[in-house]
Amino acid sequence: MPAVCLYFQVHQPFRLRKFSFFEAGSGADYFDHSLDELVMKRAAERCYLPANQVLLDQVSRLGGSMKVAFSITGTAIEQMRLYAPEALDSFKALAETGHVEFLGETYFHSLASLFSLPEFRRQVELHRALIEAEFRQAPRVFRNTELLSSEEIAREAKSMGFSALVAEGAEQVLGWRSPNGVFESADAKLPLILRNYRLSDDIAFRFSSGDGPGRPLTAASFARRLSMLPPDTDSVGLFVDYETFGEHYASNSTVLTFLAELPEALLAQSGWSFVRPSELATRSVRRDTLPLSSVSSWADEAKDASAWTGNSLQQSCLARLYALEPKVLVAGDEGLLEAWRRLQTSDHFYYMSTKSGGDGSVHSYFSPFGSPYEAFIAFMNVVRDLEQKLG
Amino acid sequence: MKILMLGWEYPPHIAGGLGTACQGLTWALAEQGVSIHFVVPQLFGNERAGHMLLTDQMRRAASPQGDEQQPTRRHASFETTRIPAFLQPYWSPGQFHAAVHDSRKAQSHGRAAARKDDRVARALIDGEVYGVDLISALYREDFYPEVSRPYGEDIFREVERFTGNVISRISSEEFDVIHSHDWMTFPAGVALSQLTGKPLVVHVHSLERDRSGLFVNEQIDQIERFGVESADRVIVVSHYTKRMLEEHHGISGDKVAVIHNGVYPRQAVQDYRLKKTWPRHVVLFLGRVTFQKGPGYFVDIASRVIPNIPDVLFVMAGSGDMLSGIIDRVEELHLQNHFLFPGFIQGEELEEMFSIADLYVMPSVSEPFGIAALEAISFETPVIISKQSGVAEVLEHALKADFWDVDRMADMIINALLHEELRQELVCKAREEVRKLHWDAAAQKTIAVYQDVAP
Repeated sequence: MPAVCLYFQVHQPFRLRKFSFFEAGSGADYFDHSLDELVMKRAAERCYLPANQVLLDQVSRLGGSMKVAFSITGTAIEQMRLYAPEALDSFKALAETGHVEFLGETYFHSLASLFSLPEFRRQVELHRALIEAEFRQAPRVFRNTELLSSEEIAREAKSMGFSALVAEGAEQVLGWRSPNGVFESADAKLPLILRNYRLSDDIAFRFSSGDGPGRPLTAASFARRLSMLPPDTDSVGLFVDYETFGEHYASNSTVLTFLAELPEALLAQSGWSFVRPSELATRSVRRDTLPLSSVSSWADEAKDASAWTGNSLQQSCLARLYALEPKVLVAGDEGLLEAWRRLQTSDHFYYMSTKSGGDGSVHSYFSPFGSPYEAFIAFMNVVRDLEQKLG
Repeated sequence: MKILMLGWEYPPHIAGGLGTACQGLTWALAEQGVSIHFVVPQLFGNERAGHMLLTDQMRRAASPQGDEQQPTRRHASFETTRIPAFLQPYWSPGQFHAAVHDSRKAQSHGRAAARKDDRVARALIDGEVYGVDLISALYREDFYPEVSRPYGEDIFREVERFTGNVISRISSEEFDVIHSHDWMTFPAGVALSQLTGKPLVVHVHSLERDRSGLFVNEQIDQIERFGVESADRVIVVSHYTKRMLEEHHGISGDKVAVIHNGVYPRQAVQDYRLKKTWPRHVVLFLGRVTFQKGPGYFVDIASRVIPNIPDVLFVMAGSGDMLSGIIDRVEELHLQNHFLFPGFIQGEELEEMFSIADLYVMPSVSEPFGIAALEAISFETPVIISKQSGVAEVLEHALKADFWDVDRMADMIINALLHEELRQELVCKAREEVRKLHWDAAAQKTIAVYQDVAP
């Protein structure tokens, strides 16, 4: 019996100010709190609150047949506490229904899995503690930043007690196989829950104002497409940024209607149901083993780590930042440690991408900087200041 | 299609971006089958062999025996004719006056007497094209200067002379469209258009307001307005300039086409790179040392960079009315060990300067386009440009800041000099970008404008 596994990503970074070279040593703040406040309040108003209400209504209407998972970063939760506590409350209300699952990831939505495994484990533990404190449930399934996956990451997740890893259903991982089922990583032997990127991207990108065929996407037509999948379909991973619902697309577009109508439209298709990631990890038959021989992710055309590490600007910043790890850990200064960790958030490196074409325009859509070069300069100025403070 | 093009300078003897732009555009137009008769005023001094396609022509023209009346075929469908005039585009009338006085060595040219063409006079009736009294220009006895006689007293008389010459020499030629580059040629373009009934396209490479800031010369400003108002279509080099035309001259955007300049990729950059002998970081300013180009901001920026990058050398290449003041200011700030003033450079010297520079900085207060930024990139030198420039519209892979934000510009320079990876990434991506900014695209759009006015 085929099932849809819905998971929504909620993340906000602590964005850097245009921190100037001449501010080094001045004690000036690195972060643009007013911009963060603006974005968080807008996201809460347009997306988190109305979309959470849609989901709450569905759960009260459909009970246990509606299931959904969230992964919420530590930085997003901190910003909700600061700027939109009512949004955090509504996520808690969803948690209390018992039908909503929360996934584990790094607290800072970082790239630590690629640069420092000890730091990676610390951030995953920090996140786990936060989720338990806020939502009274321990994450069981792991999703790394932007679905960055490899055998090493699978091994780490397994050793930290996670029952499955969420990964991108990319061609370089799957080859000829369909992503519509649960696999197992070849080396770490950890169940893999794969994202069906074609169907997920339909939700993420097809609500633009254009009037091409199949636009705007309706829940009924989407459910029909699911029902026409091959009969061997076990589960379909639909993983999207939660901000898609109302933030990336204005809330007066049809995207919230889509979300509201999707469950009934899907359940109306014979045999289809919803499933949570942790249920998939325990119940499903493994389709096959997949070697995660190189790093994959859900970002850009390349679906690898190149969105954050692809150019020399990014590499240079990452090298300088992670070189500070020994000093920052022994310094015993909580403020510096927190700043160092906030600087690890992948968004900073995403803004420095110099890719062109469609990838490039997505990168610049999210960036608060005028160009990748300005993002680099602000970051380097901050790192220089942090280096000075650490001596 | 045959185009009569009126220009004011042509490489290698150029004072700014105008000549470079005319060269690039005419090359690409000729390649696309447009036949061009390019009329430039007489250049003065022996021209250096800068651009090889025009070098021969320049030498021949400079020769006293050279028959300047005969157009010299340089390209399959491209010819240039010189009309005598003493000029430097974009000089203020005062500068022009001073230059005339200094120019004892200015060459002079024998000329056949002006034909008193009644047809011309009749066609012009009142004989006035804004700021230029054509009847008196055509009939004045001293219209063609005698040998050993210094050139005219002011830029307006040179414009008047150019206009009269164009009318008496060119109006009987066959052409479909008149294409007039910048205000100095607008009166000639308008007069020719009135006389022949052929459509006029004026091309605005810069405006008096860009060049002079608050101290706008009213007469030039009005000639510009007269030109764009009289033209059938107006070509501008940026949306920035289009906005200025709309706001300042009240020109309807409908008749204005934005056609960004292009650039031809350079070869032989590696040779210059290998020749780099200066053991210091070089930050280059290149352009007229005048208000428009923001030279004062460049010094302010330098004063913030130097304490942080001890081995930096700021090169200010160019001359202009602010140069001596700038040199005084650098000495006042005790920065002279970090500054070099090579004066106006061109040809190989210019290419070498572009090549050895680590950064090219263009802090212009108002820059309709800024073609030098594209040239710098073609020499693999990354650029920092002011947001008040047309080139910022077409160049994504550049550092950009407001011209007045000297801290920000200094921040960018410091980081670019500290981080080779930043310079590399900038220049590598910008070169890809610049390859797409080919003159062919500009020529195609220009041809579309021609077809629009002369179907």
